[in-house]
Amino acid sequence: MTFLPVRVRPLSDEAALCVNDAGRFFAGSHGFVDRLLDEALTPMDRQFLAREGHALEADDPLGLAAHLHGVAERLSRAGPLDYLILVPTLRCNLSCSYCQVSRAGLAAPGFDWSEETLAAVLACLDALSTDRIKIEFQGGEPTLRPDLLRAVIARCERFAERQFVVCTNLQQIDDEILALFDRPDLFISTSLDGDATTHGRNRTGGPVRTDRFLANLRTVVDRYGPGKVSALPTIDATAPPDIDTLIEAYAAHGLDSIFLRPINFQGFARKRHKDAREQDLAWRAYYERFVRAIIARNWRDRGRVLEETYLSIALRRIFQPGRDRHVDLRNPNPMGLDYIVVDHDGMVYPTDEARMLARSGIIDLSIGDVRRGWDSEARDQLNAHATNQFDPACQRCAYQPYCGRDLVDDIARYGRIDMPRLETEFCRRHLHLFDFVFALIYSDDPAVIYSLSRWLRLPGTPASLGARLQ
Amino acid sequence: MIRLTLPALAEAERPFVTRLRIDPNADTDIRDSLLVNEEAAGASFSGARGLIAIDGATGRELDGDVILVQPAPGRVERLLRAGSRTNSLLVTERCDQLCVMCSQPPKKTHVDRFALLEQACLLAPPGMLIGISGGEPTLYKEQLFDMVERVLAARDDLAFHILTNAQHFTVEDAERLRSPLYARTSWGIPLYATDAGLHDRIVGKAGAFDRLERSLATLILAGARVELRTVLVSANLHELPALARYVAARLRFVEAWSIMQLEHIGFAKGRWHALHVDHRRDFAPIAAALDQASLHGIRAQLFNFPRCTVPPAYRSMAIASISDWKRKYMPGCAACREQGQCSGFFEWHPDADAEASVTPL
Repeated sequence: MTFLPVRVRPLSDEAALCVNDAGRFFAGSHGFVDRLLDEALTPMDRQFLAREGHALEADDPLGLAAHLHGVAERLSRAGPLDYLILVPTLRCNLSCSYCQVSRAGLAAPGFDWSEETLAAVLACLDALSTDRIKIEFQGGEPTLRPDLLRAVIARCERFAERQFVVCTNLQQIDDEILALFDRPDLFISTSLDGDATTHGRNRTGGPVRTDRFLANLRTVVDRYGPGKVSALPTIDATAPPDIDTLIEAYAAHGLDSIFLRPINFQGFARKRHKDAREQDLAWRAYYERFVRAIIARNWRDRGRVLEETYLSIALRRIFQPGRDRHVDLRNPNPMGLDYIVVDHDGMVYPTDEARMLARSGIIDLSIGDVRRGWDSEARDQLNAHATNQFDPACQRCAYQPYCGRDLVDDIARYGRIDMPRLETEFCRRHLHLFDFVFALIYSDDPAVIYSLSRWLRLPGTPASLGARLQ
Repeated sequence: MIRLTLPALAEAERPFVTRLRIDPNADTDIRDSLLVNEEAAGASFSGARGLIAIDGATGRELDGDVILVQPAPGRVERLLRAGSRTNSLLVTERCDQLCVMCSQPPKKTHVDRFALLEQACLLAPPGMLIGISGGEPTLYKEQLFDMVERVLAARDDLAFHILTNAQHFTVEDAERLRSPLYARTSWGIPLYATDAGLHDRIVGKAGAFDRLERSLATLILAGARVELRTVLVSANLHELPALARYVAARLRFVEAWSIMQLEHIGFAKGRWHALHVDHRRDFAPIAAALDQASLHGIRAQLFNFPRCTVPPAYRSMAIASISDWKRKYMPGCAACREQGQCSGFFEWHPDADAEASVTPL
């Protein structure tokens, strides 16, 4: 029998988590770990390991092929370009304290797409080889230029499958905007930082504009149903809002998915929120309390399932490789291939964060421009390092099959990509996240297993989610 | 029930394949036969091989159908019906397994129709998914591969779904199956239990489980598309959760796992009481298997489970699996809002049992 290598991480006082290269895992008791180290596995151990895909019998071609397939399945493969993040204008009618893009003033000239840039974006759409397209309009506030949105959307009619997302502060909606929103293939993404006071402090600057935003949010939720509208809070980790108030602010609008993000270390946030450089233990504790509050709420009110978006993504990556196309957590994480960002001046960036870094004057991570293309040396250089497979720390990490790689985040925080992995915020954040998720997976609390089952989109609620070996 | 074989008279002496057309201005082919006459009894068509007079269907019902004309016994087989999404070609009636519930018990003799079936496929309506079944198609593996490859090379709009017991794939086949043509071929493969002895007993062949595992290894390495199929019988009901764990550990590559309720025909008809499971009474093992498969991102589906007999949480997995020509609904189904998504019942399912089990949704 060949024992396939596992990477081990403490799970609890009684057990260690054992994960193989295909991401298959089990909780092994300390007794098992001792037997493993002493090379004293019992026949029961061997049977369990073979059955669960952690060991191969001498003549088991299916077990071998299944393992190879499982390892390959953990590697993401970028398809052809079919996802564009477009910034038709950098101008905005708000000035949020942590604005991530270094916004431009409402009347500032020269921050919108020129005729040439629009023409180049449309030509780029015409040249795509896929029959599906996803376009996310970012800003600035994209609804300041409904004409540009319409021009892009009209050019996408030829795609069999279309999805448009307008990331808007919902500060101003009129009939022209609503006519755009009425399209069934268009979705609305907005920011909601919690109750009115918190939202006003962070974003709108006062009750008048906050009330207008809340009324507009109510209008679009009532008009289209919550399925069309999503919202994200941005949390100031130094003064996070009351958890129940935040959750109820979302629930009150029928919004079930809450992506709890700490302030991103970008743009103006860099100047005004110096503490954001490292999310400390207080943030991690807040995050856990938040998730546990949602679990308790889901258990109390079975008619409704709330989730923390990123936790659900991580959870699904553990059990369901290949299902998620979430570009913030994948490995390898190639840049400038299946999705790109086109800025207000036509420059092309690999990610939205890369655009912000350039805008903040930290480092120019543009890989080209929409007129001349982005098949550039800069892109190739980034992509030579866009994997966690060969990092010495990741190679020893139990969570490597589930985790990702974010070069731009490293550059934003440390100005380099060769930091010892364990000393990066990306690593610390994800170690914590996966530790937390596995503690939930091996929880004995039926309320926890109930929520996890919903987040995993299971029809029922299994008795347990993870295998155990005593 | 839609009849797939119709009485007919033909001028030709030998069997041939033709496509029936009623509109002479349509985009026609030299292999087509055009409607020349229609009366109460049926319709007559004329083509390069002479006249065919078919009883029991109108010209419109037959328009676009690809048929096999068999002059000697005086009948036509509707091989590919233009109006149906589900068409299946039978390439042989021989089989090297003898499953306890077989819906189409095998015969010893084999009539080689590959050349005619290939002609039929080449005339198929645009975009059709053509089913191939038996008997066991891979008993004639070379001819089968040749036919599939020639048809898919000539027609880039067609696809095949082939039912096979997967007892005959060898390591050497992997290279051939890696051809991009096979991206449009999926294989429906039965697996009944993780216990080799139980699986072998159900399929009536010693060593079948081991041989199946070897074939599945080849299919993984070939990048083949596989739909796993498990027919529910009383012997494997309580094995389903273990089977789900096995699929998650070893067969993650499958595109879908179909758990199928028994069909009241063939061997199962005579053994109904010994084999049949009333899933309404004991759904728990099925639910556990579906949860386990879903947990690991394996698309599980229920075939031949009328939706009203499935608990609500699992209902969306119960799909309209029964082909139109052999499907029926009960009078009680008329008021049901989900009939369009429901499998209904096989035409040969006992009415009394079917009627007693439906509750319109």
